[in-house]
Amino acid sequence: MSMMPKTSDPTADAQASAAETPPTALEVRDLNFYYGTNQALKNISIDYQRRRVTAMIGPSGCGKSTLLRVFNRMYDLYPGQRAEGEAIFDGVNILDRSLDLNVLRSRIGMVFQKPTPFPMSIYDNIAFGVRLHEKLSRSEMDTRVEDVLTRVALWKEVRDRLRSPAAGLSGGQQQRLCIARSIATRPEMLLLDEPTSALDPISTARIEELLDELKQEFTIVIVTHNMQQAARCADQVAFFYLGTLVEVDAADRMFTNPREKQTQDYITGRFG
Amino acid sequence: MSGTVTKSNGWAKSPVAARRRAIDLVATGLSFVATAIAILMLASILWTLVSNGIAGLSVVALIRPMGPPGSHGGLANAIVGSVIQTVVALLMGAPIGLCCGIYLSEYGGKGRFASTVRFVSDVLLSAPSILIGLFVYLVLVAPFGHFSGFAGSVALAILAVPIIVRTTEDMLRLVPTAMREAGMALGAKKWRVVVFLCLRSARVGVLTGILLAVARVSGETAPLLFTSLGNENWSFSLAQPMASLPLAIYQYAGKPYDDWLALSWTGALLVTVGVLTINIVVRFGIRSRKG
Repeated sequence: MSMMPKTSDPTADAQASAAETPPTALEVRDLNFYYGTNQALKNISIDYQRRRVTAMIGPSGCGKSTLLRVFNRMYDLYPGQRAEGEAIFDGVNILDRSLDLNVLRSRIGMVFQKPTPFPMSIYDNIAFGVRLHEKLSRSEMDTRVEDVLTRVALWKEVRDRLRSPAAGLSGGQQQRLCIARSIATRPEMLLLDEPTSALDPISTARIEELLDELKQEFTIVIVTHNMQQAARCADQVAFFYLGTLVEVDAADRMFTNPREKQTQDYITGRFG
Repeated sequence: MSGTVTKSNGWAKSPVAARRRAIDLVATGLSFVATAIAILMLASILWTLVSNGIAGLSVVALIRPMGPPGSHGGLANAIVGSVIQTVVALLMGAPIGLCCGIYLSEYGGKGRFASTVRFVSDVLLSAPSILIGLFVYLVLVAPFGHFSGFAGSVALAILAVPIIVRTTEDMLRLVPTAMREAGMALGAKKWRVVVFLCLRSARVGVLTGILLAVARVSGETAPLLFTSLGNENWSFSLAQPMASLPLAIYQYAGKPYDDWLALSWTGALLVTVGVLTINIVVRFGIRSRKG
C-alpha cells in the first residue's frame, strides 16, 4: 500500500495513533457540480477519514450519488457535466484536468447499484481489472484471485467453478464478485453506490459484514437510502439535501442527537 | 325463511362487455386468417420449390459446371461462385459494418456526424439492389472494361454493410451503461471496455446480424447482373466474370429447354436451403447459447 496522504494537519498522524481522529484520506473543499447549467452540488466541504466508513444519506436527488461519482471522475464520461473546487487525495486535486484518470480509478474503486458482472468467467472478471495495471505471472494471478474472493467470502462458494460465467451467480454473489473485482486492483478507497439496493436481506447483511472487514484496509464511502444500513455500517454519516451538505458527524451522534432540524426530520422519516 | 340465495344484479352482464367480447372475437378471427394466409403462401412457395427442384437435384448437377441445353450441365460452378463471392463480400462488409456500428453506438452518440451516418446507412438499407449494381458497374466494371467476381462481391458487401451497421448498433445499445461505467471505474481505457466488455456482451446479437446479412445478400441477383455477369464455365478468379446461383436461375428460368428449367428450380432450391440453414443456425445454434 502507498504511504499516508499528506494532510493539512501535521498532527493528524499522532492523533490517529491515539485512535481519536483518523487522518483524512480525501479532503473536499468548496466543491460545486453542474449538469450543464443545472447546479447539483453547492459548496460541499467534507473530510473522508482514512479506513473508516462514511455513509452519505439524503432524499433522492440530493446529490449524494453525484458527489460519489466525482471522486473517481465518472462524470468525465459525460460531456456537459463538470466539477469545480478541490478534492485532495494523496496531495493532489483529483479534479485536475491533467490527471491520469486510469491511475486515479485504480486507486479509487467503485461498486455500482446493480451488480455488473462482465461477460466472462468468474476468474477473468477479477483478472480483467488486475491486468490493466499489473503484469502478474499465472500463479501470482491465481493467488490474487483466491485472496480477493476469500476476502469477500465468496471463495468457498465458487472455487470449483472459477471458469464458469459470472452471470450464473446469484445477485448477492455477483455483487460480492464486483467488490472483489474492485479491491483486486488494490485501491486505497472504495466508493459504493447503493450497493445493496438490488439485493435481498440476507445478501445485504453479508455485504454489510464485509464492509466491517474491508475498512481495516480501505477508506469506504457508501451512498445509501437505508438509514438502518448507515447506522449499522458507518463511522461517519453525511446528510445531503438539495445539493448541500446539511450535516456531517459521527454515526452515533448523528442518529441520536443531530444538530440540524432537517437531519432529524429526515432520519425520523418525516420527509424523504 | 330465506332458504334461497338471491343474486344481486351486480352479476348481470354489462352491454359494454358484450360489445367488447364481439370486437375481440372479430379481431382475433381476422388475425388468425391473416396469419393463415401468410403461412399458406410460404408453404406453397416451399412446396413448389421442393417438388420442382428435387427432380433436377442429382450428383451431376452438383459436380458439373453449367453448359448448353442437352449437354448434361450442372450448377457446380455457380455454387462455388456464389460461395466465393459471398465470403469475399462478408470479409469486406463485416469489418466495415461492425466498426461503423461500434462508432455509432459508442463514440458518435447524438452528434451531427453520427446522425448523418445513421440516416445514410438506413437509406442504403432500403435502396433498390439494382441501383447498387449499377453504381458498382460505373466504378469497378466500366473503367476496367470487363466484368469481375470482385465487382460482384463489392456490390454484395455494399448491401450487407447497412444491415450489419444497424444490428451492431442496436445490439450494443442493449448493453447496460452500468457495464461501461464498471469497466471505466476499474481504470480501463475506452477501447478496451468497448471490445472486451460491450462487444463481448453483445456478441450473440452482433453475430446474428452478420449471418442474417449473409443470408440476405447470398440470394441477390440484381447487384450481380452488371458486375460479376455470370459465367458458363468454372472460374475461380475474382478478376474474371464469375458464376453464381441467382444468376444461373435468372439465366435458365423461362427458357424453352427442359433440362435448363429443371436446373433453374434446383438452383432456387439450393439457395433457399442455404438461406434457411443460416436462419436455423442463427435461431437455434447461436441464440440458445445466450441463456
